[in-house]
Amino acid sequence: MIANLVVGGLAAGCLYAMVGIAIVIVLNITDIANFAQGEMAMLTTFFAYWLLDDLGLAWWQAVSIAAVFGLVQGIVVQQIVIRPLIGSPVLSAIIATLGLNVVLNSLAGLIWGHQTYTFPSPFTFLAPFQVAGVPVPVASVVNIAVSLAIIAGMTLFLRLTWTGLGMRAASQNQTVARLMGVSITKSSAIAWALGGLVGGIAGILVAPSVFLDTNLMAGLLIKAFAGGVLGGLNSLVGVFLGCLALGVSENLASAYLSPSFADAITFIVIIAVLIVRPEGIFGRVKVRKA
Amino acid sequence: MTGAADIAGLPAGLPKRPASRGLASPLLVGLGLALACAAPLGLNGYALYLLTLAGIFALVALGLNLLTGYAGQISLCHAAFFGVGAYATALLTTKAGLPYLVSLPLGALLTTAIGAAAAVPALRLKNLYLAIATLGFGVVLQKIIFEWRDLTGGGGGLALSAPTIAGYELGATGLYYLTLAFVILGLWGAWNVSRGRTGRALRIIKESEIAAASLGIHIARYKVTAFALSAFYAALAGGLFAYLVRYINPESFNVGLSIAFLSMVVIGGLGTIGGSIVGAAFYVIVPELLRGIKDAPGLVFGLLLVVVMVFMPQGLWGMARRLVWKR
Repeated sequence: MIANLVVGGLAAGCLYAMVGIAIVIVLNITDIANFAQGEMAMLTTFFAYWLLDDLGLAWWQAVSIAAVFGLVQGIVVQQIVIRPLIGSPVLSAIIATLGLNVVLNSLAGLIWGHQTYTFPSPFTFLAPFQVAGVPVPVASVVNIAVSLAIIAGMTLFLRLTWTGLGMRAASQNQTVARLMGVSITKSSAIAWALGGLVGGIAGILVAPSVFLDTNLMAGLLIKAFAGGVLGGLNSLVGVFLGCLALGVSENLASAYLSPSFADAITFIVIIAVLIVRPEGIFGRVKVRKA
Repeated sequence: MTGAADIAGLPAGLPKRPASRGLASPLLVGLGLALACAAPLGLNGYALYLLTLAGIFALVALGLNLLTGYAGQISLCHAAFFGVGAYATALLTTKAGLPYLVSLPLGALLTTAIGAAAAVPALRLKNLYLAIATLGFGVVLQKIIFEWRDLTGGGGGLALSAPTIAGYELGATGLYYLTLAFVILGLWGAWNVSRGRTGRALRIIKESEIAAASLGIHIARYKVTAFALSAFYAALAGGLFAYLVRYINPESFNVGLSIAFLSMVVIGGLGTIGGSIVGAAFYVIVPELLRGIKDAPGLVFGLLLVVVMVFMPQGLWGMARRLVWKR
C-alpha cells in the first residue's frame, strides 16, 4: 500500500520536476520567474501532437522537431518580451510573463479549441516494471531517466563550456560579467532557449499521462514552483528532489491524513521547511553585499 | 542588479518639486473627487457595480503596494486576506448581529492579526521563496474557510442580504459612496505612511536590508507592520466586496486572485500611491471593454499586459508621472 503510494507520488513528482527544471534554468540566469513556462510547454506539446497526428511523422522525428520549436520559441519570447525589460524591476518582467501566459493560452484555444486530445505515447501499453512486487509504470521510469539526463547535461554545460561559465558569471554579477566580455543579452537568450527546450520536453512527457488540452500545465506550474522552493532553487538536483518529495508527500497526506487537506498540509510542510532553511533543503545561501 | 548602483541612483534627500506640480496636483485631485462623487448620477447599475469593484480592488492594491512596492516583499496570499475579511465581516454581521459599520473594521482588525502572524515565517524569506510561502499561507487560509462548514457554510458559500446602516438599507449607490469614502481614507492613510518614518524605513529595507539594519531600523518590526497594514486594507476591501456581490464562496479567494492583485500593483506602478488606483481600474475596466471582441478577450488583455510592461516597466502611473511631471 505505502509502496504503491510512494511510487505514484514519485510519478507525479517527476512531472513537477521536469517543469521545475525548465523554470529554474531561466530563473537562475535571469532572476525572472517565468509564469509563461507552462503555456510555452503546452504550445510545444500541441505542436508535437500536430506533427504526430496530422502530419503522421514518426515519434523520434516529431519529438526532435518539437524540441527545436521549443528552443526557438524560448529565443523569440526572450527577444520580444524579456530583452526590453533587462534592467527593469524583476516584477515587471514577471507580470509580463503572466500576460504572455494568458496570450499563449488563448492562442492555443483559438487554434485547437478547448476539447481534450489523447496524446499517444510509445510506453502506454508496455507492461509495468516490477520492483520488489510493486508495479512501476514504464513512463515514470522514462520521465525520471530523462530528468536525470537533463540535469546531467545542464550541469556539464554550465560547468564545462565557456558559454555556460559565462552564464553562471552573469547570474552572479552582471556588471563584472560584462566587464569580462560576457554578453548579458546572449546569456539571457540562451537561458530562455534552454528553458523552452526543457519545458517542451516536459510537456511531451506529461501529456500522455493526462489529457492534452490548453490547460495541460496550469496545475503543474505552481506545484513545480513549490517543489523547487522546497528543494532549493539554486541547485538543479535540489529542484528535482524537492519536486519528487512534494509528489510523494501529497500522495501520503491525502491517503493517511485527509484528502481534502492534502494541499494545505503539503504547503504547511513547505512553510515549516522554509522557516528552518530559508533557501530550501539543498539551496545555498547566495551571499550578496547589498 | 548591484545594490551600489541602485543606491547611487536614488535621489539624495527629498525629491525636488517642479513648480508645475504645486498647482496641478490639487487640481487633478479635486477634479477626480468631483467626478467620483458625481459618477452614480450618470451611470447605469452595471457600470456602477464595476466602479465600486474597481474601488474595492484599489483598496487592496493600496495596501499591497505598501508591502510590495515600498517594502519589496512579494505576497501571494492577499486574496486569502481579502476572503477572511469578507467572511469575518459577513459572519459578524449575520451571526453576531453587529451593525455593518462595526463588523467591517472589526473583521479587518481580526485579519490584521492574521496578517501579522503570516509575516513571522516570512521574515527570513526572499523573492520566490517568500512568494511560495505566502502562496501556501493563502491556500491554508482558504482551506480553513472551506472546511469550517458550521461557521462559513463551506463550499456552498454564504448568501447575504443588503446591509443596513442606522436603519437605512444600503443599496448599490450607498455602497458605492461607502467604498469611495474608504478609498479616500485609504489614499490618505497610504500617503501618510509612505511619506512618514514608516515609508522611509520600508523603502530602505527594499534597497538593502543590511543598510537599513545599520541605520538602526528594526527590520522585523517594519516588515510585520507592512504585512499587517496591507492585510488590513485587503480585509476592509473584502468586507465591502462581500456586500457588493452579496454571495461569497471560498473558491473565489484563490491564488489567481492574489496574482491579479499583484498584477494591479505592478501595472499601476510599484511604489506609487496613484498607481494602485490606476492598476485596479485597468484590471476591472479593460476586460469589460474587450468583452465585445469575439473569441479573444483573453488574447487582447494578455497582449495589453505584455505591452504595458514592455513599454512602461515603471507601470502606467510611473509613465504618466514621467510624462506630466518630468520626474
